[in-house]
Amino acid sequence: MIKWRLLASTAFLAAVTQNALAQERVTWWYEQATPEQQALIDQNIVQPFEAGSQYDLVIDFRGSELDKQLRVAMLSGSGPDIVYTPGPSYVAPMAQSGQLLALDKYSAEYGWDDRILPVFLEMGRYDGKLYALPKTYETLGLYYNKSLFAEHGWREPTSLDELEALADMMIESGITPFAAGNADWRGANEWFVSLALNAVAGPDNMQKALTGEIAWTSEPFRLAVDRLNSWWQKGYFGRNYFSVQSGEQASDLMTSGQAGMMPSGTWAFHNVSVYSNKNSAEVGFVGFPSAEGAPVFPLGVGSTFSIAASSKNTDGAAAVINYVFSPAVYGSLNSAWQGEWNIPLRDLSEVTMADNVMPLFTQAMNQLATSVNEGNYGYTTWTFLPPATNSYLINGIEEVWLNRVSTEDYLAQLDQTFQQELEEGKVPAVPQR
Amino acid sequence: MHRLYVLPTLLINLAIIAIPAALTVFLAFFRWDGISAPVFVGLENFSRLWGDRVFWTALTNNIIWTAIFLTVPMAMGLLAATMMLVARRGSKFFQVIYFLPVIIATAITARVWQIMIYSPVTGVVGLLQRTGLDFGNPLAETSSALYGIAVVDLWHWWGFLCVIFYAALRQVPAEQIEAARVEGATFFQTIRYVLLPGIRPTITLMMIMTVIWSFLVFDFVYILTQGGPAFSSEVLSTYAYRSAFYDLAVGKAAAISVVISLFGLAATIFYIRIQAREFEQ
Repeated sequence: MIKWRLLASTAFLAAVTQNALAQERVTWWYEQATPEQQALIDQNIVQPFEAGSQYDLVIDFRGSELDKQLRVAMLSGSGPDIVYTPGPSYVAPMAQSGQLLALDKYSAEYGWDDRILPVFLEMGRYDGKLYALPKTYETLGLYYNKSLFAEHGWREPTSLDELEALADMMIESGITPFAAGNADWRGANEWFVSLALNAVAGPDNMQKALTGEIAWTSEPFRLAVDRLNSWWQKGYFGRNYFSVQSGEQASDLMTSGQAGMMPSGTWAFHNVSVYSNKNSAEVGFVGFPSAEGAPVFPLGVGSTFSIAASSKNTDGAAAVINYVFSPAVYGSLNSAWQGEWNIPLRDLSEVTMADNVMPLFTQAMNQLATSVNEGNYGYTTWTFLPPATNSYLINGIEEVWLNRVSTEDYLAQLDQTFQQELEEGKVPAVPQR
Repeated sequence: MHRLYVLPTLLINLAIIAIPAALTVFLAFFRWDGISAPVFVGLENFSRLWGDRVFWTALTNNIIWTAIFLTVPMAMGLLAATMMLVARRGSKFFQVIYFLPVIIATAITARVWQIMIYSPVTGVVGLLQRTGLDFGNPLAETSSALYGIAVVDLWHWWGFLCVIFYAALRQVPAEQIEAARVEGATFFQTIRYVLLPGIRPTITLMMIMTVIWSFLVFDFVYILTQGGPAFSSEVLSTYAYRSAFYDLAVGKAAAISVVISLFGLAATIFYIRIQAREFEQ
């Protein structure tokens, strides 16, 4: 009899424990990550989070097609608790169809309004409610080979005219002005379109176009695309643009002196650091100059965090997201994996970075945080344009460069696609300036 | 009772082919982003395709692709198979060599050609450029991108046809070939009047399958150029993929898929008719 009682008690306890464990589990599907990167996430997020929490965080690394898997899973209500999207353009349709939970309750509970840069909270809103927080923010700028500049007596450009004069001199010296390519990632095209739109048309005009106030066919955008096209036609991008890979090969070209400058994003710091060591070159980073002179920092968001409306553990999911938005995670992950975890914290004074981090990276990110906080920022196309418009922007610009369509026709089709998506409510939230 | 034997395959076909196919046709009449509720739009997706120049570029590229694959690898495969039949010595070795590219994963073949051959930075093209030859990456030019991809797929594909044709040729009665030789037929006359008629059903099947596969081509195009530069190597399947997963226009992608299916359907009907005629004969 005692044996039976013991057995029944054990079974009961096991069932209760199992049930409790199941209730405390928080699931998060992450995108592609190398084994080293997975280990970094485990060491810097999973382990410290679980140490001081009642929740069991399970991260499932789903590979490069996460967005497609998420869409199917969300439709069937079987997705993870934490919804990790590739960017704000995915949030609006998900929120629209009721797949995401409004985060306003947790924002008030955890004080996210005070801790996160306000512009990013604005970007995560849909119909006045907060649905997403950006994991990382980034900007575009101009890397340049400092050693090469010193050798030729060149100075970093402070206006677009200076940039063009410098590029012309580089061509005369047999140096490709821009280290750039899209062989591995066609989306790299939009880095240059984003830069031209912000530098020539300006953020104010972009904000008006993004909110539907003016058309993308307006004069400022025509001038911007024409100017970008003139850079292409003059050979600033080199003859191997379609064969060069946007990441490592471009960094190698710039640091080896085959190219003088590299318009790229803050995500490239890691590659630049590796190849500047390899090629023994000193590298500089400045904001991309605008037509008026002062640099513009186009703002981009890499990924976003939301909570699934179907989640059975919304409190646990919110606790995980809240933990990610901490100075400890910012410091530890950015020290090891620069550019990927630039969490939009308002105050970076409590962040501790490792000694081996490139000072240029820290300076650039501080400069960006200050600019954003002061409202001095531009717009990256991958963050603020809806999906079909952005897809055409990327592929259509090649037609302009290769003289298959005119600037006017390119912008006309871009505008037509945008207006349709605007009407369908697919345009991501655009913060007030 | 014996009809029950088809039940398992029928169920599998229903679940993984018939239902998704029916859903695709159904979705072609809707505007759907893959997330929110679909909206019925009638024939709008098709009428938009009619005025879409990228769609016409893609369709033209599929037709060019079909023409290439109906001729070049067929001719290469037939020629090599016939030569192996005539000169049997070493035929096993050549069969293995010709067939080898077929068993290499598509992604690996594509990356090898992209990085080790076509790349002006890391490939043979770069080596030629450094020796002073004006040689460019064919994938980087709008005029040659599609042909550059076709070369890779040809390299990967023709060996398969060669082995299939060789197997068929070996079924041609040796007496017929011997008789032709005794009658004084030349090598090409033997091919024209004895061997080709002998393997005509195999050639017909391979040609019909080539038409179907040519309209489904995706992997090499997507890995090597993603349809670029400037849509110059776009084919219907890459266009459908981009529409569904980048533009979030699932209805449009379904409409493109329906167009692809129509070509496959036409080829299948043609094949079934030929088969029926041969059966009657």
